[in-house]
Amino acid sequence: VTDIGRILRLEARATALFLAVPALAAIGLATAWPALIPGVGYWDNTVSAVAGSVRTLGPACAALAAWTALRDDPSLGYLRGLTVRSPATVPLLDLSLLACVALPAYAIVTVVVFVKTMMHQEAGHLGVLGIALGAAVLMTHVTAGYLAGRLFPHMVTVPAVGVAGYLWSIAGPGEGTSWAGLPTAAAIERVDVFAAVDDGLFLARLLWSLGLCVLLVAGYLMWLTRHLWLVVPLGLALGAAAAGVARIQTYDTPVTTASFAYACRSWPIRVCVHPALRPALRSLGTAVTPLAARLSGTQGEFTELTQRSEGPMAMPGAAGTPGAGHGGPADPRAVYVRIDDLSAGFERRALRQIVAALLDPTWCGTGRREPGADYTGLVSAWLLDQRPPRIADTAAAAVFARYDEDDRRAWLRTHYGRFRSCRLTAADFQAFSVTGVRHRVFAAAWPKVRPGPRHRAGLDADRA
Amino acid sequence: MPPIVARDMGVRRGGRWLLRPASFAIAGGVIGVAGAAGTGKSTLLATFGTLRRPTTGALQVLGADVGDRVARRSIRAWLGYLPGHRQDPDMTTADLITYAGYFKRAARGAVAATISRFGLADVAGLSLTSLPSDVRFRAGIAAACVGNPRLVLIDVPMTGFDPRAWHELVPVLRGAAPTVIVTARTPDELADWCDRVFVLARGRLNELVAPHAAAVPLPRGSWSGARPPPRDPRLIPAGSGAGD
Repeated sequence: VTDIGRILRLEARATALFLAVPALAAIGLATAWPALIPGVGYWDNTVSAVAGSVRTLGPACAALAAWTALRDDPSLGYLRGLTVRSPATVPLLDLSLLACVALPAYAIVTVVVFVKTMMHQEAGHLGVLGIALGAAVLMTHVTAGYLAGRLFPHMVTVPAVGVAGYLWSIAGPGEGTSWAGLPTAAAIERVDVFAAVDDGLFLARLLWSLGLCVLLVAGYLMWLTRHLWLVVPLGLALGAAAAGVARIQTYDTPVTTASFAYACRSWPIRVCVHPALRPALRSLGTAVTPLAARLSGTQGEFTELTQRSEGPMAMPGAAGTPGAGHGGPADPRAVYVRIDDLSAGFERRALRQIVAALLDPTWCGTGRREPGADYTGLVSAWLLDQRPPRIADTAAAAVFARYDEDDRRAWLRTHYGRFRSCRLTAADFQAFSVTGVRHRVFAAAWPKVRPGPRHRAGLDADRA
Repeated sequence: MPPIVARDMGVRRGGRWLLRPASFAIAGGVIGVAGAAGTGKSTLLATFGTLRRPTTGALQVLGADVGDRVARRSIRAWLGYLPGHRQDPDMTTADLITYAGYFKRAARGAVAATISRFGLADVAGLSLTSLPSDVRFRAGIAAACVGNPRLVLIDVPMTGFDPRAWHELVPVLRGAAPTVIVTARTPDELADWCDRVFVLARGRLNELVAPHAAAVPLPRGSWSGARPPPRDPRLIPAGSGAGD
């Protein structure tokens, strides 16, 4: 073993293969990084991102392996070629050297992604089997690339192996639960915080990948050496691969629903999120409180906001309580939002979801253009604290702009039904006061006649 | 038995015969093979070194058939080879010999013995790239000779050395193994210090009558292949019966 270590060290120095490690790590990171949830440290997502980096890292390592197999080393190749050792020695040394290049690159990807995860609030399950699966699939790529280089010793084999591996990675279903997905067994689509990957599936894929890798190596060595005893590892590898495939077929999807307990904050309103998004509680509560206050007293009033994974937004009184399964809220006045990540502006995106959910899709749905949609957009902008949109009815816009916060809340309580069904009209903005007494200050002639001091005095009197 | 025995052996590469089918034997001693660039010296040496298979015929090296997979390994155990177009690796002298010893399955003591035998103890820990060309060459021969081979093949060694360094290298080359085959571009480079010199030209390997002639008498009737008369009056066909 000492000799092999020394020979590997000498070969590594002579071939300078280790120079490829940073480049390979960069390739792997470029794939893993976008799969991470911004601002969130969720281990299931981390593991799937690391294993998924093999989608590009694997083909790159396969191309490197093919090049290694067919290169004619002008400095040491003649000594290897005249070896009196077993014909298996050189391929095994090469594969060991390639493993010493590919696995450290994968390790760098793993460490960087782990550090990034640990910089945030951690949650989820660190599936070590998933990391091992990525390594196994990577070595399968390396072995396949090396054998391709040995069997087809032409320079065109190098790019061909890389391109074929990459196309296979991106073209296949990639979920690894079907026959077509097996070659990319490590690839799992982005895992959000409500999803988890079963360790059993990782184990099944690991069995398949290791079995395939050993099958390739043992098969090639048997062809090379004619040693019959290699039938034993061949058979074992075949059995492991078959067992892995059989197990994989029992899974419908690669991800399952994660079990967790919500992290909640009760003041000023109750906000509950996945524990991985705990850092968002304060800012989310701060952002959503004004909206909750503006909707107070309307049918859209809510006192609780909860993050949910998918599905239509559930408004107060709607059927089903998506969070209940996770110990979440069952309050009928709860509103649900989907928060995919904590990248900049996530609070505003959550608010938009709430306001969008207020609207009746029957009247305000996509493709419909109700006359009142402009007015609803005007009110929605206020609810979201956004600049009011330009609408055709500038008079109504001006009237609404003149309302103070209390006026608008009172107005919304009165007009909520027409607002959510996009059936507001100019008349709804023409004469309204918080006392409920319609007056003529904001008459249809406005803004041709701007209200003067006397009008304002009258309005103040009404309010008083 | 001669270390190299060829029966109707032909070597073809790139659509032309580098060595037309011929039968010959090369006895022990220091043998030179001369030929202009591109005549196939290196390919012939690689064939003797079991790195290539003859295109036609049979070749026995050290008594074993190179066509036999198992026999080839036994040949390699007693064979040393130093190619001409090689780069010196980025490693120390000792590392190079250790590396060669690993693939030769040499005993642990063999590496140290080889370093000592070739006078490389002082430079064992130095990087090859920092050494003069003659010392690098000596290290290359040492790597080829680890494990005391019976046959050593050295391709085009006479390049880039000053006369003094070359003068010191000749005994090293001659003492490398019982049979040493070296190549050169011209017979003159070999004639002074080789026991026999062959010339490879136009696919024919003919022996140059050399000062230290040591040819092997060929068993009558065991060789085939008619050989044309040599064009150069100094040349006689290889294996034509010149006695040693």
